[in-house]
Amino acid sequence: MESLKLPATGRTPEVDFDFAQGVLRLSGESYPDDVATFFGPIFAALRAFLAEAGGHPIRFDMELLYFNSSSAKALMNIFQMLETAAGNGRSIAVTWCYEENDDSMQELGEDFAEDLHHVAFTLKQIPADGAP
Amino acid sequence: MDSIMLAQQYAGIKRDLDEKGIIFSFSGYLSEGILYSLGEALREKMTLEETDGPTVRRVFAVFVEQMQNIIRYSAEKMTGAREKPVELSAGMVTIGMEGGKVFIVCGNTVYNADVPRLRDRLEYLKGLDKDAIKTYYREQLRETPEEGARGANIGLIEIARRASEPIEYDFLEMDEGKSFFCLKARI
Repeated sequence: MESLKLPATGRTPEVDFDFAQGVLRLSGESYPDDVATFFGPIFAALRAFLAEAGGHPIRFDMELLYFNSSSAKALMNIFQMLETAAGNGRSIAVTWCYEENDDSMQELGEDFAEDLHHVAFTLKQIPADGAP
Repeated sequence: MDSIMLAQQYAGIKRDLDEKGIIFSFSGYLSEGILYSLGEALREKMTLEETDGPTVRRVFAVFVEQMQNIIRYSAEKMTGAREKPVELSAGMVTIGMEGGKVFIVCGNTVYNADVPRLRDRLEYLKGLDKDAIKTYYREQLRETPEEGARGANIGLIEIARRASEPIEYDFLEMDEGKSFFCLKARI
């Protein structure tokens, strides 16, 4: 299945879903004016990919620096899709990166991790790059 | 009115803002574009002042939720579609310093019919401690959004969560249809 790549904008994260390799990545900031319009195609592509037969392990790197509450809901949706697929036997590893000292992002990662039982979830501290 | 009066008048407004510790204030029609530009300016200013990163992010997070609440829920709106759809919502957002803490106040009109439900939600949130807010956030994150809702219904919880003190709110009835609603969060 074809990759999904979207460059970051001021208000939306970079999307780099390399489906052939099973390596997916979201990075940057997310506070779009219309969450449904931005995340709709991402959900659709991910759903189609997860429905594909084949046992490719999946690596999902979440490198978000900030997201608003509507985006949090969209991320929850993504995690639920991943959890269902992992429950069905797919090997899925999520790495949640947060900058050092960023308690908010660390806690938000913990919020999502709470009901992931089949997805292997890792919190990873990364150095702050000094950008706000 | 001559120019001396004009300067006096606006110097008075400026002085009032300064005395209240207000460093940033916007009143009028807000849009997502204004949210983006003001947000960037706010972050740049705080970064130049060497505000620590986590504080900058907390202020920014509260700012975004407050602005989006106004854009989505203000009872005073203009909509149009010339080249692309436009939506402008009236309100105000004010950021200042008070007792060494950053505060953000948003204000906008709401329909009187919506006041009791909003008041109940805010009163409930105000009574929760840090851990309870976190638990409540996690519960709401798992709720399916209401059909047609544009937001996630967790914006207010996000504001309360990022604030370092209980949120403050107030309503002022303007007429039989609308009230002015204010929400203040200290970071």
